[in-house]
Amino acid sequence: MPGVMSRWLERERVFKWLPFVPVQGLFALLLLPNALLLVYLSFLSWRITRGAWWNAPFTGLDSFLNALGDERFLWAVGRTFGFAAVAVPLELLLGFGLALLCREPFRGRRVYTTVFLLPMMIVPAVVGYDLSMLLIDQGPFNQVLSVLAGRPVTVRWLSDYTAAKFAIIGADVWQWTALTFLVFVSGLAGLPRDPIRAARVMGASRWQIFWHVELPLLKPVIAIAVVLRSMEALKIFDYPMLLTQGGPGNATETIAVYLWRMGWEFARVSDAATMSLILLVVVSLYIFIAIRVLRRERRRLAEEGVR
Amino acid sequence: MTRRTWLGLARHAPLLVWTAITLAPIYWMVMTSFKHSGEWVTWPPRWVPHEPTLINYVKVLTPGTSTFELGRQTLKILKPLWDSLFIATTASLVAVVLGSALAYSWTRFGTGGRRYPYNILSIRMVPPIVIAVPFVVYYVTLRLLDTYTGLILVYLATSLPYVIWMMLAFIEEVPVELEHAARVMGASRFRVLGRIVLPLTAAGLVVTFLFVFILNWSELLLAMTLTNTEVSTIPITLNKFQSANEGRDYGPQAAIGTIATLPVIVLGFLIQKHLVRGFSFGLLRK
Repeated sequence: MPGVMSRWLERERVFKWLPFVPVQGLFALLLLPNALLLVYLSFLSWRITRGAWWNAPFTGLDSFLNALGDERFLWAVGRTFGFAAVAVPLELLLGFGLALLCREPFRGRRVYTTVFLLPMMIVPAVVGYDLSMLLIDQGPFNQVLSVLAGRPVTVRWLSDYTAAKFAIIGADVWQWTALTFLVFVSGLAGLPRDPIRAARVMGASRWQIFWHVELPLLKPVIAIAVVLRSMEALKIFDYPMLLTQGGPGNATETIAVYLWRMGWEFARVSDAATMSLILLVVVSLYIFIAIRVLRRERRRLAEEGVR
Repeated sequence: MTRRTWLGLARHAPLLVWTAITLAPIYWMVMTSFKHSGEWVTWPPRWVPHEPTLINYVKVLTPGTSTFELGRQTLKILKPLWDSLFIATTASLVAVVLGSALAYSWTRFGTGGRRYPYNILSIRMVPPIVIAVPFVVYYVTLRLLDTYTGLILVYLATSLPYVIWMMLAFIEEVPVELEHAARVMGASRFRVLGRIVLPLTAAGLVVTFLFVFILNWSELLLAMTLTNTEVSTIPITLNKFQSANEGRDYGPQAAIGTIATLPVIVLGFLIQKHLVRGFSFGLLRK
């Protein structure tokens, strides 16, 4: 029988579906019921402590009105976007600057690039924990600042309302500048030589070449970095969880942290579901745009490759 | 000073500053993992342990379960270490097999349609917290909550998009003509896969495996959501009593952090050159 079996598997129309079926099956099994459940739960009023979810009262659109009226949720959303708006540009600029400095060969370049990549290889939870040691009131970070400032610095990084936000942003920047650096280093190394040489022959200055030739050529790379980092920054969870547990007060409560608490600490599962659904709608828009940008850049690259 | 030295200074000064910023936290954690409890929190902070010790490693690596009693926390990681290793390895391995097969099938036959990789990509972009809430309800119903199978299935699903996108790039480099030639000479499709495609993409498979392994090894949110007492990974253990204000065990936790980081850094450097592929959506030329 194995002969018949393998001949059947050999047919193109069977063969090509062999990996497709289990993968789609897995997605269907895991994601489909969850998506339906998410929508259904979001219309209910249900807590874990109140019996089975299928017996829970149906509140319909009221749950959405409640969620949109929940100030803590809206603040968490705004705060998360705020963190991203500060952290992502910082990461992009720092990564790009460092990559430019490491562009041409010089002594020590390998050492620098190796060191700069380290942070992205560390478990994010470990980064959060590590900074929670460094940033204690009488910790090494304040010590270094004191030395640099020449007077005692006692910023309460983990318990001051404003400073704690910077602690979270700092953690994100510390870890993920490594990634933007890596992306830009690879992007710069992959720049085609001919247009740059041509511009130089025509007498363009270094600055002109950078601004009018290299930067436009780097567009796909910049697109990658922006999409990647802004996408991830909206998911921030590990750092606030380990550094501040969302505190002090709600100063560092991001969307992910708030929803997590909602579901697990407060057991308000259906409310958490409603907010998740709202978040999904918002994010979908973003994903839609991101995918379009990526497709366009990829198509452009493919066309260039043909030429 | 000459122009050359100035230029050198202008280059090295910012690079050295960033080197210091990068290394200091790592250095601090490793040092703390070798400190006695009296040196964890001091003023001025001790950058070098006066009496280096291995006690923290011994503590966390002795068998037992993590406890928090009388405001005193004890973290044990043999079990979480094994759980992390087992879950991350299994999920990554299956993801690489399935995902690369699918990537091959897509590049050669267009399985799933022209936009398929992009559809997969958009799944990857959804924040995991969105799905976390219904996931618990779903897993409770299926009795998959707090089981290895449950977490492995989830990690498998989250790894697949990465595998597919990374392997697309590697597979596109395999010359189709070679495969056609082999087919014409009567080789079966599976033989072509095993004798031509597999050897030519072997390096890519290893790189992809290590990449998703690192992701799964580091994941916190879903692991916290979908496990309870039976299954526990390293990131969860690290987070376990982090909210406790008293009795913080800085040293042992630093030891855990160091143990969790070491393998990832080693693996990361093995695939350093390819690391960028996993993040670049196939948009970067080498």
